[in-house]
Amino acid sequence: MSFNRVRTCAFVALIACLSFALASVVFADAKVLARWSQTKSYEDKKMGGELDVRVTYYSSEYIEALVKEEAEKNLWTEDETEQFKYRLISGLSLDDYIPVNIEFDNRGPTMHLAPFDRFVTLWAGKKKIAPVEYDKRFNFGFQGKRDGLVYFPRYDEKGRSNLEGVKSVRLDMKGAISSITMNLSTVDFIWDISRDDPDALYKGKAASRLELDRLIKRMDNLNAEKKKLENQLAELNSELDTVEQRVEELQRQ
Amino acid sequence: MKKILALVAVVALVAFAAPAFANVNPFMDVPMNHWAYDAIGQLAARGVLSGYPDGTYKGNQPMTRYEAASAVARALAVVDMTKASKQDVEMLKRLVVEFKDELDALGVKVDQIDSRLAVIEDRLGGWKIWGAFRFDAEFGANDELIDPVYGVTGANRFRVQRYRIFLRKYIDDKVTFTARLGGRDIEFERYYIDVKFPWDITATIGLWDSDWEDDDGLYVDNDAMFTDRPLRGFYFDKPFAMGNFAFYATRPDEIATTADDFEKERYEIGARVKLNFNEQLWLSLNGIMRNYDSAVDRENEHIYWGALGINFTPAIALKAAYYGQENDIGSGDTDTANSFQAIIDISQDALKFTSFWAEYRSFDEGFFAWTDGPWDMYGTVTGQNLGENYDSAMFFYLNQKWTDQWSTFQRYLVANPRADGLDDTTNWTFGVKYYYTPALSFELLYDNIENAVTNADRDDSLIRFRTEINF
Repeated sequence: MSFNRVRTCAFVALIACLSFALASVVFADAKVLARWSQTKSYEDKKMGGELDVRVTYYSSEYIEALVKEEAEKNLWTEDETEQFKYRLISGLSLDDYIPVNIEFDNRGPTMHLAPFDRFVTLWAGKKKIAPVEYDKRFNFGFQGKRDGLVYFPRYDEKGRSNLEGVKSVRLDMKGAISSITMNLSTVDFIWDISRDDPDALYKGKAASRLELDRLIKRMDNLNAEKKKLENQLAELNSELDTVEQRVEELQRQ
Repeated sequence: MKKILALVAVVALVAFAAPAFANVNPFMDVPMNHWAYDAIGQLAARGVLSGYPDGTYKGNQPMTRYEAASAVARALAVVDMTKASKQDVEMLKRLVVEFKDELDALGVKVDQIDSRLAVIEDRLGGWKIWGAFRFDAEFGANDELIDPVYGVTGANRFRVQRYRIFLRKYIDDKVTFTARLGGRDIEFERYYIDVKFPWDITATIGLWDSDWEDDDGLYVDNDAMFTDRPLRGFYFDKPFAMGNFAFYATRPDEIATTADDFEKERYEIGARVKLNFNEQLWLSLNGIMRNYDSAVDRENEHIYWGALGINFTPAIALKAAYYGQENDIGSGDTDTANSFQAIIDISQDALKFTSFWAEYRSFDEGFFAWTDGPWDMYGTVTGQNLGENYDSAMFFYLNQKWTDQWSTFQRYLVANPRADGLDDTTNWTFGVKYYYTPALSFELLYDNIENAVTNADRDDSLIRFRTEINF
């Protein structure tokens, strides 16, 4: 077969594959899910080991698409759908954290990732954010599949949102996570979040329950603070009583 | 699992911490002459085993996962971490991972356990060891060739194709040591430290490897053309919000000079910047300069390239790179040879049934690869003198992951010779891979090469069965 003929056949095959690929992503929900839940595959060309890394960023449009997909798949009622959404959002602790789900499928040498927070960083704008919490199973050496959530703080120490004004976030994992990727500078995932609207999630019954949760949590915090202040006040009163008693004793002498 | 057997795992965890005196066994149904009498007594004395309210242990009954998890949880509470051996720690880890859900349900905080284990690992030195080993059975076809394409002709061979053992130690928060053992002479093929410096700069010092072409996803087959080589020297990496900057300076080991090394006596300096503009667009600029010592009869050589990528979706990418190679030819003159590369990379997530990689490369005369022939995956197909032999090449690679265990792959290369009247060099492969476990795989493939390195009738084929174990 001549080179030109191969080139023509290849071009036709390429266009066909591209058309097929593009057609598969025109379905809006699938496109949304694929955008926020990205997979990268790595292969050790010298030794043959394989590693798939899937990372999910929980944007509001991803959560909405996921809830919709699950509801359609399981034929849920509206109430069941709202319950699922509530459980999902409260489990992710979106109020306090930026959660990222990481899934490894390691068909290569054992990955030793302890302590895991040493290997992973979230860049939000110019801010470099370290995890505050993660699934501790990542700290155990493993082959095969392992997944878990990694939580980054949503607010800095001054209470400002780490995502305010940020156009893109980049999850940066060191190439040293595996011998398959150890010659790489990074295993990274990028999401453009400028159009993500976390407030869009807080609609419907799930939102009311979440607001109730927030208010209960706030009430608990205020009650705890109140109790603390009352204890302090009681201690002060007790000390005052002691001092007054002593003063009276001294005055009587 | 019988209770008596199950406790053997747990007793190992606490036996080393148990006092030397014998414990009285409190269970009426465990005879004094039973081999596990003392072990059960020790565990009961330390609160690991509680038995049943009627004072029996019921060692012949199967143990539920919850009972096993309870035993692990109680063992964790009494284990003397300062006396645990490495085997005990590993066993404890495995048990904790196995029973994580049950331990969670029992209210045992796995992260607290983990911090205790981390302390022990520090005490044990924190060495991590892992590796890979593969064994090939190769059957070559053409035994007429003087210059064998696969290194095996007619005669077949079984061999340990490659093995690697990695070692890593976290020395402290800032320093990590990594080494790789391998090769026929059982030597350290890599050994380096990674050091964290201020301003997020990481330095890698020693004998290391970096692969900038793979960083950009510019190849899927045999090897990179210019990077992915072992180098001795200093490598600095500075990440920033949407990319990173890297720089290195290297030189061969002159003490261990051989005739071949003498040829390589040079400083090699490289620099690279990668910029991600957003989730869809990235750019990298790279340059490597090799300056040979004046005593070496070899001219300097440099390679510069820029690569650009567009991700239409996370699963569909278009990548392109332009390489400029400069070779000094004396008297201040330079020969320049360029190469262009374009790639369509579609993952199986998009096409569902297969991944698809299509690559086109063109070469100016004189362009050559420093590392290896980019498509010499199973035998010599094009070699490294790409520009001398070819003006362009097209390469396709498809991989179908059918299940977690089974996958198939196909590759096809056609390279267009520079000289008129020569037939194309072609290479195609069909392979099947099966993972018996995530650690053990078997691969059977057929590879066929025609007109290798533009030599008419230098044809050969190979059947290879590979067994690969990772640990």
